[in-house]
Amino acid sequence: MTKLKLLLLMSLVSFAQIAVAQNKTVTGKVTDQRDGSPIIGASIQAKGSKIGTISGRDGEFSLSVPDNTKSLTISAIGFGPFEVALTGSPIQAALKISEVQNLDEVIVTGYGTQVKRDITSVIARVKGSDVQNMPVADLSQTLQGRAAGVFVEAQNGKIGEGIKIRVRGASSLNGSNEPLYVVDGVPIVGGVYGSATSDINFNDVESFDILKDASASAIYGSRAANGVVLITTKRGKAGKTKFTLNTQYGFQEPTNKREFLNAQEYIDYYLEAATNSGKYHYNRVGNTRGFANEAAAVTSMVNFVKGRFTRYSGWSDWTKVETNTNWQDQAFNDDASTGLIELSAQGGNEKNKFYVSGSINKQDGILIANKFKRMSLRFNMDNQLTNWLKMGVNMSLGKTERQRVSDDNAFNTPMQLVALSPITPIRNLAGELYNTPTTTYYNGLLDVEYAQNHANGYRNQGLIFTESRIAKGLTLRNELGLDMVNQSDERFWGSKTDGGAGIGGFAWAQWFRNTRWTTNNFLNYATSFNDAHKLDVTAGMSFENRYDEYSYVEGQNFADESIQTLAGAGTISGGTTTQEKNNLLSYFARANYNYNRKYLFGITARIDADSRFGSNYKYGTFPSVSAGWIVTEENFMKGINWLSFLKIRGSYGIVGNNTGIGFYSAKAQYSSVKYGTSPGGLGINNFGNDDLRWEKVATTDIGFEFGLFKNRISAEFSWYNKKTTDMLLAVPTPSPSGTRSVLGNIGEMENKGIELSLNTTNLAGKNLKWTTNINIAKNKNKVLKLDGEQKEILPTSSRFANAVIIGQPLGVFYGVKYAGVDPANGDPIYFNQDNKTTTNVYDAAGKFIIGDPNPDWIGGINNTVSYNGIELSILFQGVFGNQVQDGAGGFMSASGDWFDNQTRDQLNRWQNPGDITDVPQARLNRWGDFDSPQMSTRYVYDASYVRLKNLTLAYNLPANVANKLKISTARFYVSGVNLHTFTKYPGWDPEVNTDYRSGNVNQGSDFYAAPQIKSIVFGLTIGL
Amino acid sequence: MKKISIYILLAALIGASGCDKKLDLKNPQTISVEDAFSTSDKVKNVLIANYASMGDAALFGGDVLWMSELMASDGELNWVGTFPEPRQIWSKSILLNNSYVRDTYSQAYRVIFNSNNIIANADKVVAIDKAKVIAEAKFLRAMAYFELIKYFGEKPFFAGSPATLKGVPLILVPGPTAPQDPFYNLPRASVDDVYKQIILDFTDAETNLPPKNGFYANKPSASLALARVYLQQDKFAEARDAANRCITVATANGFSMVSNYANAFNNSSNTSEDLFAMQVTDQAGTNSCFTFFSTDTYGARDGDIEVTSLHYNKYSPTDSRRNLFFFEYGEWRCGKWRDIYKNVKVMRLAEAYVTRAECNKRMGTAVGATVDADLNVTRSRAGLAPAIVGATLPQILIERELELAFEGQGLWDAKRLRLTIDGKPWNDNKLTFPIPERERNINPALEQNPGYN
Repeated sequence: MTKLKLLLLMSLVSFAQIAVAQNKTVTGKVTDQRDGSPIIGASIQAKGSKIGTISGRDGEFSLSVPDNTKSLTISAIGFGPFEVALTGSPIQAALKISEVQNLDEVIVTGYGTQVKRDITSVIARVKGSDVQNMPVADLSQTLQGRAAGVFVEAQNGKIGEGIKIRVRGASSLNGSNEPLYVVDGVPIVGGVYGSATSDINFNDVESFDILKDASASAIYGSRAANGVVLITTKRGKAGKTKFTLNTQYGFQEPTNKREFLNAQEYIDYYLEAATNSGKYHYNRVGNTRGFANEAAAVTSMVNFVKGRFTRYSGWSDWTKVETNTNWQDQAFNDDASTGLIELSAQGGNEKNKFYVSGSINKQDGILIANKFKRMSLRFNMDNQLTNWLKMGVNMSLGKTERQRVSDDNAFNTPMQLVALSPITPIRNLAGELYNTPTTTYYNGLLDVEYAQNHANGYRNQGLIFTESRIAKGLTLRNELGLDMVNQSDERFWGSKTDGGAGIGGFAWAQWFRNTRWTTNNFLNYATSFNDAHKLDVTAGMSFENRYDEYSYVEGQNFADESIQTLAGAGTISGGTTTQEKNNLLSYFARANYNYNRKYLFGITARIDADSRFGSNYKYGTFPSVSAGWIVTEENFMKGINWLSFLKIRGSYGIVGNNTGIGFYSAKAQYSSVKYGTSPGGLGINNFGNDDLRWEKVATTDIGFEFGLFKNRISAEFSWYNKKTTDMLLAVPTPSPSGTRSVLGNIGEMENKGIELSLNTTNLAGKNLKWTTNINIAKNKNKVLKLDGEQKEILPTSSRFANAVIIGQPLGVFYGVKYAGVDPANGDPIYFNQDNKTTTNVYDAAGKFIIGDPNPDWIGGINNTVSYNGIELSILFQGVFGNQVQDGAGGFMSASGDWFDNQTRDQLNRWQNPGDITDVPQARLNRWGDFDSPQMSTRYVYDASYVRLKNLTLAYNLPANVANKLKISTARFYVSGVNLHTFTKYPGWDPEVNTDYRSGNVNQGSDFYAAPQIKSIVFGLTIGL
Repeated sequence: MKKISIYILLAALIGASGCDKKLDLKNPQTISVEDAFSTSDKVKNVLIANYASMGDAALFGGDVLWMSELMASDGELNWVGTFPEPRQIWSKSILLNNSYVRDTYSQAYRVIFNSNNIIANADKVVAIDKAKVIAEAKFLRAMAYFELIKYFGEKPFFAGSPATLKGVPLILVPGPTAPQDPFYNLPRASVDDVYKQIILDFTDAETNLPPKNGFYANKPSASLALARVYLQQDKFAEARDAANRCITVATANGFSMVSNYANAFNNSSNTSEDLFAMQVTDQAGTNSCFTFFSTDTYGARDGDIEVTSLHYNKYSPTDSRRNLFFFEYGEWRCGKWRDIYKNVKVMRLAEAYVTRAECNKRMGTAVGATVDADLNVTRSRAGLAPAIVGATLPQILIERELELAFEGQGLWDAKRLRLTIDGKPWNDNKLTFPIPERERNINPALEQNPGYN
């Protein structure tokens, strides 16, 4: 690679010395009059001749014209013809818009751009300005409900943590199903904690372009199977320097709280449960403990429960109900605030342009001891060095500080406090937190006081590029990018916490450094001939190197627990380091051809050679083709005025997913093995597979786009069929080979769906404007072939029902159907396999498909109204047809099975023969006399929801007032996120997938997961 | 203009060809197969790791010991744990997908795989160590095949014509590198062929192993292994001679009976009596006999395997071996596996004495020592007096049973002595493991054992 760079430099130098101009050359730039943004693909013609060209990236053009040419005619889609006199060069042509539409929008396509009108693939665009200042931690959350077919789900309400994104469903069982994120041409590397996208200040983002179908994404080859999100950051525009000061302050709270029993209800409920279970033991279990009579059994049980009450109530007297603790409130931070301060500047002249910004965003999570803070700096610069050579630099540096809380299944995570009894005081009379045995389980507040959980991340993204105009229409772009994330995770558990008890406190320090450097070198050639043929070709190569480093040290026996780094550890009890590398060499090409502005063709191919692939499949080829027909350009359509635009398009392509393969999985390897006190052994650690390769996803896409009434109504529709083959699974092998399985490509899966987006300009008055954007999508996932060690993967947990079954969606719920409560005796009953008769024995019940965590439909509606400087934007987002299983139901909605505080709906328990209810009789399972509740449809709920996702009301100061204040603009706004949720889900929040088990299969699970964050912020943006 | 295009093309080509070499990356945490067998030291390290494979829970890390004892329980052991799969073994109603059965089968072939690779690469080993390295690899391989043939062979060696009884697939050299290669769909070799191979390997090991070898395989352990093999073939003279060679070499090289029976167990390093034991430390190795025989008092599970009084009462009250049992949760527990992070005993010198005694008795000989002298070695250590004079075969067999109780010989002794176990005759179909279902799903050439389908 060094050689390449040297030669490139040399070639550039020699190029500078080439003398040109045999003809009169005119250069110039075509921009949009409204905002000065460049127009690419504008046609430029010497007036009165056939000589012409089209503007390239940045709207610039260069045209050799006869000496006698007096003027140029410039036109572009959506812009009227424009004539400009040739008085000199360069020429600045600012075009006026001719009709209401967005067909002229320039879409980022990966290694290039294309005008929306001419696109034959499926790309969803979300403008940075649409999501600016949304009070969320992660940019992927801003996309929720804004793009058709893009499903976004935050696992829970922990701030800056895991977020699931699915573009057109899940395509893999063992690989990642997340899209590839590319920031200004450089793929982003993931960290270990939180999501990588939360490191990026999305107020710096100009646009998100989401490549959805294979013809759009094939340019990213073996990483494109789950779509590609191209993030383009803001760049400076020529003109007076604009400063923007942006501040924001607000509050965060949970979207919902659940209702639990209060102290009096708890006492009454468990005394009732005690009586019931005493009777149950005596009468129905057969009095195996030999009580004299029923009353004696009841007394024994009641005394046991009263003993527990005494224990759980600490210093207080439960008989007088002296304590009534709301443990749920203890889990939440009732004073969670969020703040943002940001300063940016952009400007420059024709030769040098810049954008700089600095930002501090601090957000308290809704959970106690959960915090997020991001500081970021960005500097984007463009420099026109000569009339043929341009260079640019992007630099961003960010620090993300996280104060994290444990996973949802840990006793020390705040949400598990809800399990504690309301009769338990938080502290003893000495002011210290109670722990077991006074608390029913470990008191998670001990972690708040005696433990630390800090993860800091540093992300540095840089890119330098040059763009050389080699010949007419031919440009060469060279990019060198680096993305580096350093994360540290330092934790401490004091000796009073469950993590540090018995070992004198425990701490660990983990350090991760993941880097990726990338070089992209590609040529673009755009030309048109005979006024009818337009051709745009891009071809190039790219090389990426990924390097992940990790180190870990742990220690215990802290002499003084106020010294919480490992420097204070009396014993260093463990440590390790690892390094991993991956290289990717790629060649790619794309050609778009357009005949008479009517017939559009696209062809794309990428060849990826990845060091992780097996030796027999080192190179993967990912081709795609697409075609479109703009019907409204046909003469026979000319008379139809109401139909301003109609395009029919189709595409087919094959893309890949390389994420299921570890960097070294393809090779057989030996690693260090310990045996006794031997100095060391070498044992086989991985059986290689020379055939190991990418998962293959073939997508067919058919759709159309239309515009009505001068494009005041425009819509896009797509139908797709996305089929995964060569899906990675553990392939079973005979034991005499030395191993039982080897990773191989043998599974199949499919996603079929439709997407519709509709944009309308309802009012387009001078003062009053109202637009509506609607998007809606349906996806149906189906596992087609497994053929691994298992033909199906059935649930192994008694609390969750996710399974992989051929013919069913990934992660479908498979388990027992709850038939309610036997009115005669209050027993929970379940359906037998005949689906008609019932049993009260859980293990005897039939097994059925009992739910699906994958939504049928997702969608969003955004309305924007502006009137004389007042803007109102309201986004509703919805998810329909999916179910969520509450794995904690067996603890907290268990009709008093054990001493966990119960949700208030358990008060509807069966009490007397004939009662019709779906909550069984309250019974305490002291002696294992009956089955404790396990996963069944009793805990599977419809999790469809519609959410008022974002509402922003803004007021822009009139220009004359602003001018008097010596500022150019001022905008006051109030913005809210997750303001209201409409759902039947009885848990905290229907948008949930508990973090500790979240995966491709394990979806739609709740387990003490924190509700989502509701935020309201007030902001002020001042432009200078 | 053309010039620059050529430069760029050239640059791209040079760059690309440079990049191409970078597509073959090494994992810094591991080494390649070629590298692992590239030097003498590395081949020896692969050998060390094969001991770790051998010490996996599924093999001599405990499972092959307690599975043999559970199956041979005959009312002397109860499985009371919640795990259903050991219960299947205990009740002799094993399902085809039993994961313990499956794992033992696979782990034995992992050891064989490692040994085959070591033997095939023995040329890399320095000349002075080469024979020893091969001998250790063969020892481990034969140990693995011996467990396979005992558990998975259609019937015991003496149950019919060993040349027609189905054994297990024999693989003695490294096969293709791709584990999914159809080459590995091997049919079952005959019981006779497998035994012949085991004897070949152990004999070679006995010849070339040093008398002492740290905690690795040594000459006396190979001799005792041979004695075990011959016992399974009813070849008492050969078994006697092998046991005799074991005792002669062992005692001449510092091995001896420990003076107190209790001290022979729960050791974190080998005792003078340990001819071969799997090493367990808090860093590496497992002991699944501890997991299931011991109780949560000692850091194990809840005491899944109980010893009934039927067994306990077989000991004389003065027998110090009885004192090793401990009473918890209302039942007796085997104290040999009481403590955490202790070695798994595979061969103790005591076994050689009881074997030589039995074979001398059967053959009417006194090779090495008299029957009475050998029998009183273990009896006197157990504190039993007076010394037996004119020992009978039943006396010898009960002594063998008590001395070696719950150390893994239960099922094999029961079968060769043609005993009835829990009402099932010694050659009952259900006293053999099924070929794991998963193996037959992949390999159609693999026939199932009778009694399973």
